[in-house]
Amino acid sequence: MNSERRVIIRTVGLKKQYVMNDVVTEALCGVDVEIHDGEFISVMGPSGSGKSTFFNMIGALDRPTSGRVFIDEVDVAQLTAEELAFVRCQKIGYIFQSYNLIQYMTALENVTTPMVFGGVMSDEARRRGMELLELVGLGDRWHHRPLEMSGGQQQRVAIARSLANQPTVLLCDEPTANLDLATGQDILDVLRSLNEKKGVTVICATHDHRMMDMCDRLMWIRDGAIERIARRDEVHVEVGSIGES
Amino acid sequence: MRLSSVSSKEIILADQPRLSLGRTVRIAIDGVRYRLFRAAVTVSVIAVAVAFLMNILSESLIKRRLAVDARRELSAMRDIHGWAARLTRPLDPAAILMEVAAGGALDGSTAKGGVIADRASFAARARAAASYLAFFDALEYDPRRALIHTARGTAIFDALSDPEHFTIFEQRLAEMPALRFVGSLAEFRAFLDRWPELAVQLQGVVSSQEHAIAALNRARGDRTVFAALAQPDGVFVAAARAAGFDLDEATASRLTEQAQAVLDRLVIERSLSLLESRQLLAQHFNLLPADISANELWGYLEKSRQAASYLGVMRPLVAALEPYTAERLAALATTRRDELALERIERMTAGAGEGWLGLGERMGWLLMVSMLVCAIGISNAMLMTVTERFREIATMKCLGALDGFIMLLFVLESCFLGLVGGLVGSLLGNLIGYGRMAAAFGIGVFGTVPLGETLAAMGSAVAVGVVLAALAAVYPSLKAARLAPMEAMRVE
Ligand SMILES: Nc1ncnc2c1ncn2[C@@H]1O[C@H](COP(=O)(O)OP(=O)(O)OP(=O)(O)O)[C@@H](O)[C@H]1O
Ligand SMILES: [Mg+2]
Repeated sequence: MNSERRVIIRTVGLKKQYVMNDVVTEALCGVDVEIHDGEFISVMGPSGSGKSTFFNMIGALDRPTSGRVFIDEVDVAQLTAEELAFVRCQKIGYIFQSYNLIQYMTALENVTTPMVFGGVMSDEARRRGMELLELVGLGDRWHHRPLEMSGGQQQRVAIARSLANQPTVLLCDEPTANLDLATGQDILDVLRSLNEKKGVTVICATHDHRMMDMCDRLMWIRDGAIERIARRDEVHVEVGSIGES
Repeated sequence: MRLSSVSSKEIILADQPRLSLGRTVRIAIDGVRYRLFRAAVTVSVIAVAVAFLMNILSESLIKRRLAVDARRELSAMRDIHGWAARLTRPLDPAAILMEVAAGGALDGSTAKGGVIADRASFAARARAAASYLAFFDALEYDPRRALIHTARGTAIFDALSDPEHFTIFEQRLAEMPALRFVGSLAEFRAFLDRWPELAVQLQGVVSSQEHAIAALNRARGDRTVFAALAQPDGVFVAAARAAGFDLDEATASRLTEQAQAVLDRLVIERSLSLLESRQLLAQHFNLLPADISANELWGYLEKSRQAASYLGVMRPLVAALEPYTAERLAALATTRRDELALERIERMTAGAGEGWLGLGERMGWLLMVSMLVCAIGISNAMLMTVTERFREIATMKCLGALDGFIMLLFVLESCFLGLVGGLVGSLLGNLIGYGRMAAAFGIGVFGTVPLGETLAAMGSAVAVGVVLAALAAVYPSLKAARLAPMEAMRVE
């Protein structure tokens, strides 16, 4: 892939501290990255290294302690509440590690919620919601509530929901963690086809080897800092050993 | 299966559209439906709080009605006492002024004041005088003392007619800016200048009353005024008319009846002074003879069989009981019971209709307390409802919900809960109120309060529930809406 392409997400000196009962946790300590339009990036790191925190920052879901996040060269801190809501709703799709489905809504309602917020008419939202549920293999489960579904099914609903408004950037926090090999492969295929055919930028936290095989770049985070960023072809040979770390 | 369209690759900034009210309402209702149990708990908290409020409102309304009705009936029943006073004692000048100012005819129950030539101007000045008197009457002790010393009634005008005293009065009044005098001081001055004239006229009225009463006293002889009025022959009434008292037929016959009742009551209650009567009753009620009161006597007489045995024992001892039959005694006892019931209502509703909103001093205070309980209960319930849903709020914000939507969602939801809770609570409060009042005053309380008034009270109780619930939801949901999504997600 060509690194001359437009930078869609850029962070400058990004820091995040969590303060809880006077205990300060440095979840991110100075992250500078540039992510290009249309890239497929795998983010790796041991548990607690700050991956989810990083996703929240670049997804404009949380306020950094210091540093800046630019989405398409616009400083997120400068956005108004309405513009922020618009970006979260229309431009970025999130797959949360803990799914964050709304418990009282059915699968279909969960998937259509971002469309409702985006002002899509009900019928259209319903149609697109069903399409997305079929895409993740849950066409027949549209009326189930999250508590009536397995972890993997909930994860797939979350994936369908992240695609609701055809986002430009997709942030996936371990999207295949709870899926069996075959379903996981289906999801990966969807992500790849979105990336290749629609040019969606996909940023994926994962421990899944298959994901590493299909990404453009790999990014390692450790203790809240970027340990290494490399193109896949550069690391291809080492992947096996790194995955075990 | 492929995605339907290609997303724009540039991130063009725009404002998130606002959701329509209809969609927000639908989402709110879905949320409530899912958490029916939780909603039921919140609704019942609101219902209890509103029921408390409504109970106080409905009891006050009932009590006020009962008090008004009881006072009206009692004052009709006590008409005789007012007349008995008038027929034996002249009104004092201040009372005459009040009476004239209240639109009463000077030539009515007060006996004709023949000396007054210009009735209209007299009435006008009497009204002015009455309003001044009302002002002085309403004063607290200290300002009253400072302004007019110990003068009372028309003596106030006598005192202030002294120019020196009036100057002091003017100065003192100027030192009390909080006090608003009725009308202008110049008018008062002018009134005082002509006061001696009015005083003479009043004196004329008083002496004409004295005259009339003297004539009546001759007609009455050594009978009491009650005994005289109770005579059904109408001789005394005719004498009263001749003396200038305005007694129409209806009033006269009512007075005759009431006077007889007073005499009956005296005769019968006087029989209690004999130990025999007390012993009889003490045996029946299992009390000590010394503890027997008129109420026991009347209770005993209600049954004509008991009345007969009472007469059997007492008639030989009390000559005055001679004309009474057992049926008559029982009928009197029944009338007395009704009167006692009215008096009980009058006592128990003392203070109703006064104070804030006419709720009575104590009820007003209770109302404040119940509002407080209402506010605390409801805000606590709403606070919990919203707080335990921070995760959901955070998720919605992640998906592009506007702050305003979050606020509206929760305010709508709590309005809805407040409405249901308020309706249930106001029905409950009304029910309890009527139940308690019926237990205290008998089933007569149903239908005392007009439906419109009850509905208005219920409406305001429901409104209190809704408004408090909505207000209570504003703070936590505003807090949630203002946070960044993941900050809200982290709130426990
Ligand atoms: N809400 C929080 N309060 C305090 N500390 C937090 C909070 N969330 C995360 N942390 C800390 O921040 C660090 C990074 O957490 P993060 O969730 O980003 O890790 P992660 O890489 O996503 O881990 P995993 O692979 O287990 O999901 C951890 O040390 C964690 O303890
Ligand atoms: Mg994580």
